Amino acid sequence: MPALPDLLFYAFAGLTLLFGFLCVANPLTRNPVTSAMFLVLTICSLAGLFVLLNAFFLAAVQVLVYAGAVMVLFLFVIMLLDLKEEERRQLNKVALGAGSVAVAVIAGILIKAVMSAKPAAEQLVEGTTKPLGRILFTQYLLPFEILSLLLLVAMVGVILLSKKELK
Amino acid sequence: MNYSLLTLEILVTLLGLGVLLAGLWVPAGARKLIGYGAATLVGVILTYAIGGASPADGTAFGGMFVVDAMSNFFKGFFLLAAVVVLLLSLDYADTLVGYAEYCALTLFALVGMLFAASANDFILLFVALELITITFYILVSFQRNRIASIEAGVKYLILGAVASGFMVFGTALIFGSANTTNFFEIAAKQAELTKSPLFLTGLLLTIVGLGFKIAAFPFQMWAPDVYQGAPSPTVAFLATGSKAAGFVLLLRIAFGVVPDLTAQWSRLFLGFGIVTILYGSLCAIPQRSVKRIMGYSSIANAGYLLLGIAAASLNGSAAVMTYLGGYIFTVLAAFAAISVVVAHTDSDDISAFAGLGQRSAWLATALTVGMVSLAGIPPLAGFFAKFYLLRAVAEHVMIDKAFLVALLVACVGVVISLYYYFGILRAAFFPRHAPDLAPIAVSSTAKLAIILAVAGTVYLGIEPEPMVKVAQQAAAGLKTLPEAPQTAAK
Repeated sequence: MPALPDLLFYAFAGLTLLFGFLCVANPLTRNPVTSAMFLVLTICSLAGLFVLLNAFFLAAVQVLVYAGAVMVLFLFVIMLLDLKEEERRQLNKVALGAGSVAVAVIAGILIKAVMSAKPAAEQLVEGTTKPLGRILFTQYLLPFEILSLLLLVAMVGVILLSKKELK
Repeated sequence: MNYSLLTLEILVTLLGLGVLLAGLWVPAGARKLIGYGAATLVGVILTYAIGGASPADGTAFGGMFVVDAMSNFFKGFFLLAAVVVLLLSLDYADTLVGYAEYCALTLFALVGMLFAASANDFILLFVALELITITFYILVSFQRNRIASIEAGVKYLILGAVASGFMVFGTALIFGSANTTNFFEIAAKQAELTKSPLFLTGLLLTIVGLGFKIAAFPFQMWAPDVYQGAPSPTVAFLATGSKAAGFVLLLRIAFGVVPDLTAQWSRLFLGFGIVTILYGSLCAIPQRSVKRIMGYSSIANAGYLLLGIAAASLNGSAAVMTYLGGYIFTVLAAFAAISVVVAHTDSDDISAFAGLGQRSAWLATALTVGMVSLAGIPPLAGFFAKFYLLRAVAEHVMIDKAFLVALLVACVGVVISLYYYFGILRAAFFPRHAPDLAPIAVSSTAKLAIILAVAGTVYLGIEPEPMVKVAQQAAAGLKTLPEAPQTAAK
């Protein structure tokens, strides 16, 4: 009889895969809003996986920021688009076939690699805010600082690309 | 900790922030001043970097950031490319919305490249590459009034995001199997790690991500469209800095982290290289847009460089660095001409270059030097670049007969490339019908950019030995790197 965390892992992992699939290839509807909602569910199941890894802070951030704030923005954008046109669009059969082959090959490689793996990674840090903050500002200080530059670049870029007047 | 190792990165970051702020106060009429200032200051930083003031080799941030001969070699070229790109961008100062931001973003992309040259950890590698790529998403779609520019930006964004996904997943697998992301630590236990399928898969996915950056087949599909649609100075930076950043990381992983595996995988790199050369060369033939031809040419050149990595030898990695050095000057010379012509005629069709020989001696010289050097004709930098590279490949024929095929394909690729490079030159000097032969005024900044790039191309063609020596030292330093901190402690 497997332990409870293992069972929970398989449950959350299965749900993540299922919702992820429904998000990109829902056989019942091609409505983007439904896809967005399935993305929310995918993110929530991912948060469950983070909890199982004792990464409590990341799990909370996943739900608050991604499932909450980012997805609301997604929905706003989707509402502004012409949904009818998207539903009328034909599927490209060749692309679908080629994509499926690519996915199958990559999945095959990954499954083979994961099955034969003996994971070496140990838990480096307790997943609460304090140890996470400490490791971010010691071991990973340099990437962390570069990320602040990256955010500045992204902000400048968004303002430039969405500014109204072109002068 | 030794912060002085990061002097160049910190200086360029501060300069970028300064330029961003200057954009707020400098009046609209004087915004060219920002470009002049930025180019001059990067030039000062470049002379500081070359002038022996660069810090001694060492590591910082717990072995995450490394300064060695190779990082210094590439940082010089990144800074130089940024100077030329900023000079070229001055011709676009009046048409680009937010010119100050354009300069600042170019500088931030430069920061990313500098960090990539020194990255010694998969986390830093990923963050530096993202800084480069995300900055380029914006730089590519900068001409918002042109639909082609926006289209190029969206294509680059979507394909770049997929490549980043591969890369981050690969990094996760590498961490999962090695329990570290540091290059030194992974190199120390590479013997056992390379037996782990999980590690190999992770490495392969990371290489996929890098393959996107260097535009190697089959991750090349963005290059022609993006090269054609993006503003010309951006393309010049994309073709030199961004590609070289991908290669510096590939070199460091291939020869600094898993050298034994690279020798085993040499046929993989060889296969990618051969297909990339053929794809780039053959697809360039029917093109009419000069920028698109440069896109395919950039793919073909990535193929040649992959052959150098496949050779998995000291000479091979030194040849890759020599090639990149010559290639950067050559591409900058070609793009100096293309950028001015496109700014002047608002078209990148070959017909826009018709009669360039009579319209402007400056542009014709830069274009000729660029194309002739790209085609690999002596005595320009491109010849010695290809010479050293093919020599390294030929040396490997003894070990693996498959390299003979590579040698043949490389020669075929060079012959095909003669056709399309000289097609551009034929249009420039012997036009069938040139509608407009009015002289093109070349600004003094563009002239300076042309002088820098052409002088570099010619100098490296006549006197390649000094750079070859530096490249060999850098390559040798790469091989000994794993002997550094961690293994010494054991």
